[in-house]
Amino acid sequence: MEAEERMGLATKARSLIEKATNSTSPEVDPRLLRAIKSVVRNSDSELRIAAETLTDLMKRDHSQVRYLTLLIIDELFMRSKLFRTLLVENLDQLLSLSIGFRQNHPLPAPPAVASVLRSKAIEFLEKWNHSFGVHYRQLRLGYDYLKNTLRLQFPNIQANVDRMRQERRERERKSKEILLNKYENLRQNLSSIKGEILSTVDEAGECLEILNSKDKLMQDDILDDEVEEFCHPELLQMRLDAIKEGEKVHENSDNKVVFDALRELYKLLVSKHLISIQEWISVLVRVEVADNQFRDSALKEFIDIRNHVKSVQKKCEEAGCSLQNTSKKHEEEEDFWEEGDVVANEVASSAPKNKDKHLDMASTSHKAKDGALSSRNEEPDSSNTRRLAHRRNEVDSNSLRGKLLAEAPVVRRSSHLDDWGSNRVFMANQRGLELDNHWGRVDSDAVIPADKIAELNVHAALYEEKQVEIQPCHAPLKKGGLCQRRDLRVCPFHGPIVPRDDEGKPLNQSPSKHRVNVGLGIDLAEQLAKQAVKNVRERDNEVAKKQEIDKRALKRAKLAKIREHNESVLRDAALTSTSRSASLGLDGDVADEGNLSSRDNKRSLASMLRKKTTSKDRIARKLLSSQARDATTRQHDASEDAKYREAFPNQW
Amino acid sequence: MWKQIRDREEGKIRPQSFAHRFKSNRIAQLQLSNYKDIVSPHKGAVNSLQIDLTEGRYLLSAASDASLAIYDVQRAADYEAGGLISKHKCIFSVDKQHDLGHKHAISSAIWYPVDTGLFITGSYDHHINVWDTNTTQVVMNFKMPGKVYRTAMSSLATSHMLIAAGTEDVQVRLCDIASGASTHTLSGHRDGVMTAEWSTSNEWVLVTGGCDGAIRFWDIRRAGCFLVLNQSSTQLGRRPPVLKRSMITKNLGIKPHAGQRKLSNGSGSRELPIGKVSAKGPMKQRSHPGMLSTQDRATAHYGAVTGLKVTEDGMYLLSAGSDSRLRLWDVESGCNTLVNFETVRLQTHKPIQLATTQDSTLVFVPCMRSVKSFNMWSGNTYATFRGHYECVNSCWFNEQDQELYTGGNDRQILVWSPPRLIDDETNGQSVEDRDNWSD
Repeated sequence: MEAEERMGLATKARSLIEKATNSTSPEVDPRLLRAIKSVVRNSDSELRIAAETLTDLMKRDHSQVRYLTLLIIDELFMRSKLFRTLLVENLDQLLSLSIGFRQNHPLPAPPAVASVLRSKAIEFLEKWNHSFGVHYRQLRLGYDYLKNTLRLQFPNIQANVDRMRQERRERERKSKEILLNKYENLRQNLSSIKGEILSTVDEAGECLEILNSKDKLMQDDILDDEVEEFCHPELLQMRLDAIKEGEKVHENSDNKVVFDALRELYKLLVSKHLISIQEWISVLVRVEVADNQFRDSALKEFIDIRNHVKSVQKKCEEAGCSLQNTSKKHEEEEDFWEEGDVVANEVASSAPKNKDKHLDMASTSHKAKDGALSSRNEEPDSSNTRRLAHRRNEVDSNSLRGKLLAEAPVVRRSSHLDDWGSNRVFMANQRGLELDNHWGRVDSDAVIPADKIAELNVHAALYEEKQVEIQPCHAPLKKGGLCQRRDLRVCPFHGPIVPRDDEGKPLNQSPSKHRVNVGLGIDLAEQLAKQAVKNVRERDNEVAKKQEIDKRALKRAKLAKIREHNESVLRDAALTSTSRSASLGLDGDVADEGNLSSRDNKRSLASMLRKKTTSKDRIARKLLSSQARDATTRQHDASEDAKYREAFPNQW
Repeated sequence: MWKQIRDREEGKIRPQSFAHRFKSNRIAQLQLSNYKDIVSPHKGAVNSLQIDLTEGRYLLSAASDASLAIYDVQRAADYEAGGLISKHKCIFSVDKQHDLGHKHAISSAIWYPVDTGLFITGSYDHHINVWDTNTTQVVMNFKMPGKVYRTAMSSLATSHMLIAAGTEDVQVRLCDIASGASTHTLSGHRDGVMTAEWSTSNEWVLVTGGCDGAIRFWDIRRAGCFLVLNQSSTQLGRRPPVLKRSMITKNLGIKPHAGQRKLSNGSGSRELPIGKVSAKGPMKQRSHPGMLSTQDRATAHYGAVTGLKVTEDGMYLLSAGSDSRLRLWDVESGCNTLVNFETVRLQTHKPIQLATTQDSTLVFVPCMRSVKSFNMWSGNTYATFRGHYECVNSCWFNEQDQELYTGGNDRQILVWSPPRLIDDETNGQSVEDRDNWSD
């Protein structure tokens, strides 16, 4: 019975491999690959069978099959020692089948896949040789033969990596050397460097002091203005800002020299000393030396200096110098303020009948700095209104209005919004013309009531069709690829349109039918897994001691999961083949399904072999057909005859 | 193994049989050696390999790029991969750059059987050179009429120092190292001579195989050959059934059935006396010069004879032909023993070098890209050694270490050895070479 089981499993490995290699895709299906690995991992006999199957498959007269087989071989080769020993015995055969270096055994069609196969095989051989060459003489021999005798070009991946690493090491070494040099340099002239920086800092400090002392005198009289008259908080704010600005030392003809000097010093500080300090710090941090004492002390000093310099820099900035674009910054600030003014003016002038605008104004008043945004809000597009709504939300989210606004629908701007919510009555004769006619008197004071106006101004919503993208059919075609026809419900060639995955297999097939077939095993496994997981959680919470049991449970769960996965893969494999045949309406026979699907696939594999007919071929076929040739010769003869007759017209 | 050692200790097993058992056990485990590499300096096909006969330590190899090299197979030049792989580099090599070296492919290189001071090479440039090993200089030079295919020296000769040379020419030449000249020419072959081999039981007897398919036995003391092997004169079994006459007649009875054309001359009955005579001088005199012309035309193989090997005891001869057959001959009776060796295909254009184990149980035959070992008496395949990527030309079995060396067109010299006795489990199963399942 055990033997039987083994046979069953073994055939499972074989069928999985055959299934995996029977495809036209450029990669092995990862799920199938995982299934193969887990099946093969469990016992050696399966591994042997797998190796046998793979070597058999390598002999197939189809490069695609060989390619996929090679990919699987590589996966197993990198993992299993037994597999390696099995495969290495016949390495020359494997290599000749995958690289095709023997002249009398070139690689089979299709040529495109064959070239990929060759390059991949060479790459794999290099990899194998690098990882396991020491343990397998055959690998070394094969590599050596291909490299030195046949002079095949190896990608040299490993060598490249090594070289890169070497280079990097070299670079690191060099940079370390440079660092060390710098460090030594620093050690020798630390005092001078420090002195230079400190002297600059001191000078800057002096300049600042001079300025401050001058300005104290000037500024005493500014603050006597009364603030109370500005009741509006916004304006108050503005005023305060202005005062603050005014507090600053301003450049004038008196202190121009000092300012210039300060600016120079500031520039020096920022562009030179600060950077150099930063550099020295980084050097000190990165360098590796034996005595840390000097390094630490120097580092500390530098950090102190840096802080000092920073503070001076800040003071300088407050005093009104900044690097290179001092004046420009000022201008910008002015611009900003002007803009804000413009907005404010606008707000003041615009009539409060328009709600949007009103709200806008409110928001601007609250957030005075959003000038740029508020200037844009006049164009009536929906996104803008939405954003405004958002902003409003931010501004007064707690008010009822805000709540309502948050709920309000966003509508397209149109004329009906002009009179939104107004109760005004319109004159029927707005123009004030005197209209008399023979139909009678005209009531010049006639009015149109507000409800009528509202009726007239009912918002007209155009029906907009929702843009639905019609999904392509995506049923797999026989010649490879997927059907790109876009039909709403039913594709005329492939029946109803159902969601499909990348390979064109329908996604939501009802698995109910199959569940029955698979039987209790999975359910049991599932339950087992769940139970195990639950156990694990409980015990985790309860006792930390029982970790060993936990581990066992985990392992069991894992095993169960693997088993489950295998089952599901197999099930899927079976399922896809059934559904396929069913959907194509080829055959209802379930017993025949495996055969059928393999035949189907083979056809696709075979189709790879078929040569593509190029236009050249077609022309050649047309031109070289016997009929055409006969016709040509006939024509040719006729023309020859005619020429002859013309050349010797009356020769008797 | 331990049991055997204890048996030996107690004297239950004789030393001979103990050694024999041990050796055959090791031979049974021959495989491509992972820990012994011979670094071949050759840039052409390796044509000939030989371990010296005195120390069993120095391997002489010759290649078709006119280079030859000598290796120490016991002490490695350096180690690789943490001492796992020992690299045996050549002690010295000679190539075309050498002043007196060969100009064309060297087809055969053999050690002087007495010591390692001399070795002899034969080349396609029509020359046979005798080299001094220590000075790597040519000490003697023989000019041949054509390409030299094979040179051979008798390992038991005590009264002569003759090099037998098989060349393109129909005549086999014997060159005397003592005098530096060719002493004999043996004529009889109708085509070039591919292989030559001295008998291992009689220092005067030389066996040659030609491109005409004939294998001839020569007694160098006399003119002409005394035996031509005939593939159709057969016997079953290892020994000629001398006592059971009925067996022979039965064999003869079978013959017409086989439809061979050699029936008329009654070779079976005639060859037996000749075979007997070959061992004892005087009787031969009578029949020898008047060998029937039909018998003289007998062939051992269809096509050329490409390899010969006399067993250690000198009683049997193995021959390989371009008809992809391997035949085992009983030297005494001159009969084909009808052992069916399961060869697939043999190389046809080049002479191949066969090897046997000392007790003559196995024969190693280069079969295209692989080397096969056959049971000598049943012809069953014992093992197949795959490792070369092109045709194998030569193999040599080292009795002392139970190692097999093979050289092929892919320029490699491979070592096939039994696995190390010290268990590889500890250091061989290193970290890199283990199962590595990630999922």
